[in-house]
Amino acid sequence: MFKIDSSRADLAAAYKKNPLDTYPSPALQKVLQRLRWGNARGRTIVVCTVPEREWRLGKMGTRRGMPVEIDGQAYNRYEDALWACFRARWREVSGEDCPVA
Amino acid sequence: MSKLPKRLLGYTDKVSVAPGDKIDFKISSPLTGKYDVRIVRLICGDDSDGGPGLKVDSVKTPIDGSYPARWQPIHHGSYAAIDNGAAFAATAITLDAMIWPTLPEDGRDQALLGNFDAATQSGYALYIDGSGHLSFRVGAAASVRLSTPLLSRHWHHVAVSFDTASGKVIMHQHRLLDYPRVQRSDTIDATIPGAKTAGSSRFLIAAWSDKENAAAHYNGKIDSPRVIGAALDAAGLAALRPHQAGKAPVIADWDFSREMAGIEIRDISGKGHDGRLVNLPARAMKGWNWDATEMNWRHKPEHYGAIHFHDDDLYDCGWETDFTLTVPAGLKSGIYCAELHQKGPDGEIDDMIPFYVRPPRGTATAPVALLIPTASYLAYSNHQMASSWSFDELSSGKFVTLSAGDRYLEENHSFGLSTYDSHNDGSGVCYSSRLRPVLNMRPRAELWQFNADTHITDWLEARGIAYDVITDDDMEAEGLDLLKNYRCVVTGTHPEYYTTKMMQTVRDFTNEGGRLIYLGANGFYWRVAYHEALPGVLEHRRAEDGMRGWISEDGEYYMNFSGELGGLWRRNGQPPQGLVGTGFAAQGFDISSWYDRTPDSFNPRAAFIFEGVGKDEKIGDFGLIGGGAAGWEIDRADELLGTPPHTLIVAVASEFPSSYHWVKEEFNHTHSAIDGENCPMVRCDMTFFETPKGGAVFSTSSISWAGSLFHNNYENNVSRITENVIRRFIDPTPL
Repeated sequence: MFKIDSSRADLAAAYKKNPLDTYPSPALQKVLQRLRWGNARGRTIVVCTVPEREWRLGKMGTRRGMPVEIDGQAYNRYEDALWACFRARWREVSGEDCPVA
Repeated sequence: MSKLPKRLLGYTDKVSVAPGDKIDFKISSPLTGKYDVRIVRLICGDDSDGGPGLKVDSVKTPIDGSYPARWQPIHHGSYAAIDNGAAFAATAITLDAMIWPTLPEDGRDQALLGNFDAATQSGYALYIDGSGHLSFRVGAAASVRLSTPLLSRHWHHVAVSFDTASGKVIMHQHRLLDYPRVQRSDTIDATIPGAKTAGSSRFLIAAWSDKENAAAHYNGKIDSPRVIGAALDAAGLAALRPHQAGKAPVIADWDFSREMAGIEIRDISGKGHDGRLVNLPARAMKGWNWDATEMNWRHKPEHYGAIHFHDDDLYDCGWETDFTLTVPAGLKSGIYCAELHQKGPDGEIDDMIPFYVRPPRGTATAPVALLIPTASYLAYSNHQMASSWSFDELSSGKFVTLSAGDRYLEENHSFGLSTYDSHNDGSGVCYSSRLRPVLNMRPRAELWQFNADTHITDWLEARGIAYDVITDDDMEAEGLDLLKNYRCVVTGTHPEYYTTKMMQTVRDFTNEGGRLIYLGANGFYWRVAYHEALPGVLEHRRAEDGMRGWISEDGEYYMNFSGELGGLWRRNGQPPQGLVGTGFAAQGFDISSWYDRTPDSFNPRAAFIFEGVGKDEKIGDFGLIGGGAAGWEIDRADELLGTPPHTLIVAVASEFPSSYHWVKEEFNHTHSAIDGENCPMVRCDMTFFETPKGGAVFSTSSISWAGSLFHNNYENNVSRITENVIRRFIDPTPL
């Protein structure tokens, strides 16, 4: 199984540059597939808090009917929220901090 | 932090009405005071940035005005109720059932059988406690429990006897499958002195009473439950299965394999304790004795004596009516909404509740009918894919991004689920109802199904093309009599779910000279069934194959509403290619592509389609859905799957990224060349072919097509092609 290599700052930087890139490199695609594998419950997700204007990171509860935990940081660009989600997932999946701030 | 606003909520008793019909609106408000109502005709519901905007025409009707706000509850969770419960308060009693629990360690009590009323702490119940142990309670006394936990998704025989005179309780469980080192059976002999069996006036299965409501809902299957009017000893309890009541005086013996399509359960003891099912638990489920010798419940119903209950099942909210509209004579056919506004302390709350006005029955007021895919809307109603799917992000190519509506459904779990979801216990959702507030099939919602289809109404209005609105529900009721009133029928963007009658009706229409414009993709894909007697509900089994939110269990592929095999139409002898030329090929949800004309497009038969379109023009390299007219879900032609041999493939889109994936029902082995960059099957074929008696079918084969109609103020080649086809199709000259 492919393991995320925290020395590959170049891949994180490529995602940060264009989170909506339709044609990520094969190496970045592998990272994204690892970060996206599995159910989103219990993991960091993006929540749109003002339609088309504001996004925040969030976490769903352990089952339906529980409040979604919303992070205090608001992002006015969807891409910025995606990048923040990428960094959080990197930590959740690899156990190490994303090498790009 | 970023708290969700409160919402006005509502639904209607009908989905489609004609002038003169009455339609009831059922509203719930979180506030006191009054809310305002008006009726609007909806032209476009897309209020997103860069879109056409929310467009409505106000319509004056007698219901315009203010109405008192009130909160109306939703009681979710399925169970069976036997209302004449007096006989169940016997002085000596035995309860007996086969059970297959699916969430035994749910941290709360789950009732199996009994007349217990939580409000009065009276009566008795056989139940599973929060840690998964079979338990029995009577009155307010401490309960009795077995020390061996029940195993999830395993059949167990469970039984308990209680004698009020002695207070003696004997409880027994026995698992059908034996494993070394895993305790199989357990029995307890205890005493609960002084307790009485009198409780609620009704006896419930899979829940207990809480006054007139139900609580402690059970997740799992129950098969052949019985009540015996004697307190059997331990040997007697163990001997009850397989299904031997012996000489014991049976009070009720329910056989769930009877009348499988209905919501009645039959007592075969002769004592008349028939019951009714509430909130549509799943029927035609494999029972404890299913042995894989038969996959179709109709052939061996005695193997399908189980009902699967869920704590999140919901059929009909049963709300009171707040106002009723009598559709005015002469009201133009179209999509309408009741628009609700209420001022609250934190600002205004509102809702738009859609319904469809068809022309007077038996008539048409335009040569074109927009066939609203209400069956597909129903299948997607209140979907919660982000929490149901383990593959949502890999399928969509994005991190989960919840909208306010998604979040509301996640935080308020009582609105019922869609056929895309899994229940709390992980089993798939077979039924979806419209007799509940549906948050996502609304204006201003995601551009999928309902709201995406308003790009078509917006365009029809902008181009001055007269049209009637009819629905899948109308077609299911009236068949060809409905469609034959029109020269041209236009589908929605994603008419995915079709019943047998709907498929036959569309086929009859095109074979009788009708002209069909399939303005979408992944259509005519899944076979579903409406219920013959229950309004507003659809059944679906995700059998065999297909791009599925969940997978039906083996042996549970046949629908209980109709007895038909569920699953894909292409696995039921009718691939969509035979009906409309193309069928589902691939999906991806990041960008959309464009079409290039093919040599077929220069065939004189297709000349009318491309009038005014240059021979090298890219078609639809613009649009609101992914920036192109070919995308999200796309279809392809295939003669092996029934594309008629004289079909012209007039344009093809083939430039798709790796986020597009070939549909899984088409490949034999998994391999790495199944995406838009490396798989030639990932393509979108625009097709045209003639049908008997001067009819024809034109298919764009893309969900995103309609999102391109608006571009450049409706002056673009997607708009032109659509208009070319529609104007030719309403011309009675045979094609």
